[in-house]
Amino acid sequence: MTDKKDVWQGTLALMVLKTLQSMGPLHGYGIARRIEQTSGDLLSVNYGTLYPALLKLEQEGYISSEWGVSDNNRKAKYYKLTRAGRKQLESEAREWEQTTEILARFLSPEEES
Amino acid sequence: MPALRTFFARLAALFTRRRRDRELTDELESHLQMHVDDNLRRGMSPDEAHRHAVLHLGGVEQTKEIYRERRGLPMIETLLQDLRYALRMLARNLGFTAVAVLTLALSIGATTAIFSVVYGVLLRPLPYRDSSRIMSIFEINPEGHRSHLADPNFDDFRDQNRSFQTIAKYGENVVSVSGARQPTRTSIANVSPDFLQVFGIQPILGRNFATGDARKGAGPTVLVSYGYWKQELGSPQDLSQSHLKIDGAVFSVIGVLPSGFRFPSDVDLWLPADLDGENPSRTSHNYSAVGRLRDGVTVEQANQEISAIARRIHATSSEQGDYLLKDGTVVPLQDSITGKARSPLLVLLGAVGFLLLVACANVANLLLAQASVRARELAIRSALGAARGRLVRQFLTEAFLLSLIGGGLGVLGAFWGVAGLVALAPENLPRLDSVSISLPVLVFALLLSTSVAVGLGAFVAVRATSGDLRKALVEGGRVQAGGQGHQRVGRIIVAAQIAITLALVVGAGLLGRSLMKVLEVNPGFRVDKIVAMDVSLPWVEDPKAKAAQAIFFSNLIDRLKQIPGVRNVGAVSALPIADGGLPDGMFLQMTQNELPKTVDGFGPLLRQKERIGSADFGVATDGYFQVLGIPLIRGRIFDERDGPNSPHVAVISESLARDRWKSQDPIGHTIEFGNMDGDLRLLTIIGIVGDVHDYGLDLPPRPTVYVDLFQRPRSAITLTMLIDADTRLVTSAARGILQDLNPEIPAKFRTFSQVYSASLGSRKFNVILIGFFGIVALLLATAGVFGVMAYSVSRRAREIGVRVALGASSGDVLRMVLGQGLRAIFIGVAIGIIGSLALTRTLQSLLFGVNATDPLTFAGVTLLLVGTALLACYIPARRATRVDPMIALRHE
Repeated sequence: MTDKKDVWQGTLALMVLKTLQSMGPLHGYGIARRIEQTSGDLLSVNYGTLYPALLKLEQEGYISSEWGVSDNNRKAKYYKLTRAGRKQLESEAREWEQTTEILARFLSPEEES
Repeated sequence: MPALRTFFARLAALFTRRRRDRELTDELESHLQMHVDDNLRRGMSPDEAHRHAVLHLGGVEQTKEIYRERRGLPMIETLLQDLRYALRMLARNLGFTAVAVLTLALSIGATTAIFSVVYGVLLRPLPYRDSSRIMSIFEINPEGHRSHLADPNFDDFRDQNRSFQTIAKYGENVVSVSGARQPTRTSIANVSPDFLQVFGIQPILGRNFATGDARKGAGPTVLVSYGYWKQELGSPQDLSQSHLKIDGAVFSVIGVLPSGFRFPSDVDLWLPADLDGENPSRTSHNYSAVGRLRDGVTVEQANQEISAIARRIHATSSEQGDYLLKDGTVVPLQDSITGKARSPLLVLLGAVGFLLLVACANVANLLLAQASVRARELAIRSALGAARGRLVRQFLTEAFLLSLIGGGLGVLGAFWGVAGLVALAPENLPRLDSVSISLPVLVFALLLSTSVAVGLGAFVAVRATSGDLRKALVEGGRVQAGGQGHQRVGRIIVAAQIAITLALVVGAGLLGRSLMKVLEVNPGFRVDKIVAMDVSLPWVEDPKAKAAQAIFFSNLIDRLKQIPGVRNVGAVSALPIADGGLPDGMFLQMTQNELPKTVDGFGPLLRQKERIGSADFGVATDGYFQVLGIPLIRGRIFDERDGPNSPHVAVISESLARDRWKSQDPIGHTIEFGNMDGDLRLLTIIGIVGDVHDYGLDLPPRPTVYVDLFQRPRSAITLTMLIDADTRLVTSAARGILQDLNPEIPAKFRTFSQVYSASLGSRKFNVILIGFFGIVALLLATAGVFGVMAYSVSRRAREIGVRVALGASSGDVLRMVLGQGLRAIFIGVAIGIIGSLALTRTLQSLLFGVNATDPLTFAGVTLLLVGTALLACYIPARRATRVDPMIALRHE
């Protein structure tokens, strides 16, 4: 567990949005689990990072929340993507792809010179 | 957008904190449980499942803290916390809070009320479009004073200037009007046709004057005020049937002006000027003038241009002499309306500012005393890690709370204050109707409260949190931290309070003495038991019609004398003081032989300086002098010998006789004063009467020539009745008689004592207000001295105890404590006297008969202040002598 990485805020928001897009409405625990699984258990998501990030997204209007009941009958707060959230996800994803692409070019071994 | 959304979301969260906290707890709890459930499913033991989940998720409380910071607005939350704390503090010390809040409320309220008058009169823009572009235009006479305009001079200003879009002239008058509900004496203005253009207004009904309306011989037309149209005319939509009989001529009402337009003030009817043609003289100053500047022209440019035109007139006119203009000037209309009110109002504002300072000083002292009582609390908070900034903020918050509560109460009080001020204000204070608690006044009050709060809070906070706060803890709660320092600051504040109070009370004293001096002036006439009745007949020019009017007045006077309770009746062209004095002009000393046959013949005579005299011109009957008790000094007053066909006679005032004829006896001399009423017949001086202060008690009497109403008849007069019966009975009887003689003539009644006391109104206003501020400041300063001394004695009880135990007598203790207070008092008095000497000079223009450095006032006020302050010191000092050393030593 000690070698697992903590996620940093900016990327966590993007991961949350993406998760909600692909999974539909989900509670905090579900989101955390999903992110950890998707990362191949390389990431660890704890309360201290997840809940402030959810709050921030909600304040910005990208997600909304509602109390509901989970599969095994626990009361839980479900988050879902808003329309503004979808747009935000699209633009952020695009930016992120660009950034990684640029970085990849820098980091990949030079082919000719 | 998301940033704004976030802000509102956070703001909203401030109000739903508890619910959201609960929700977060639930959410985290359910998260943990789901994790535990999963762990169990994976086959962990319950204990292990729980431990694993908790480890994985991190500290719940930490998460909540991070979450909370994200959720609300931490800055505001701290502020709310400070506020709650401050409220608790203030509520716990109710006595302190009440005194501080009331002191602030009183001073902020008083300042706000005075400011509302200053704002309404001096600062608030006039209610016309682009009112700052409207100017008053004056001639400057050879003595350097502003004067009205003569017709040809106005025409030159109008035709030659390039600075103004429009300029218009206007003259004011009071005339008899009938044809409306009932005959009335109404204020009118004679205006040139483009008068309304200057103000940028249009009639709301009917039409404006056209150029043709002002032409000589045009059908008489009149514009009416909105109020007059409603009340007197019954608001007809069709004006074609509305006619008014004004001074005997019938005028068609052609338009109604917008409600609220009353310029000149109180005017109800506007008539075209010069229906009888212009007066060709350049020395008959009959009109005021206003103009609207062209865009881009500055006041200074317009001023220079008008001045240049005026000087050109001066250089080329054939009418040289004391009455020809020397220069011209342009002044913003607002300044020309409020010019005279400016300095008294600013003095008032200054005075109330001083009161505010004294009040703030008291509150500062209270807060400091509070702070040192709280030294222990501060020490604990600081020991627990509160930064100095946080403690300073706490003090600021408390000061804000006090000031805003005080300011709020003050503004509420100011609503009454303003009503009181308006009721108390002298009648001649211009623009009184625009005085109210308006938005700018509220903004002023808010800024004032805020600056008071910042000043007080910062001062106290810096004092209270300086030095090593924790010493208070080390001293085992004996609370000595900063004690000495606080007491020294307290005494400095007291000295400042005394200095400011001294200046304020000296100002009040000087104004009060001026008022007394004015009241001591012998006006030269009797004031009480006189009823004045203004009557004006239609203006006529024909000598026969004039003679008929004289007979009418003679009959009226005879009938009025019959009223039971009326002892004597007289008539005069204008009442002294009340009507702003008599018109003045130039007369010529000459004999019948020297009298020129034609008007042109006067030219050479006017150049002979030794012939020319200057005097006010009054028209009166013999009864006037008896009713007002103006003494006959020599010769005789008009009597039955002086009929319309006998030689015309004049009575002159004592000062004119003295200044003009020196050692000679003026009786029997003849003068020519025809430029006042158009009658060129010589006047033989038959008597000398006492001087009358007819422009006001504080102005010297003017040389005056009185002529006989029955020889020089006029249409508008004021009848004066000396009565020893009830005023109402006399006025209703008099009204009945007038109605009987001519039902179309209105009359206006007033008692002379009303008029007389109104003339002292602005002096009384200043004395009452500044006197009130002075008394309040004195009380506050006394309370300040008492508070500081009492506090100091109570803090030094132990030290005094030690001194007494070591053998100090009660006299020693008394001297020690008093000495300390005295030093503060004397320093304050010294600074106060020096400051007052500098400040009272600004009062000079408001003083009468006393010097701004009047030693008597200064000495009296100093004694009063030192006496009160000593008394305030003495009581705590006495208490100090009764300190029992045993109790004091054991006490702490």
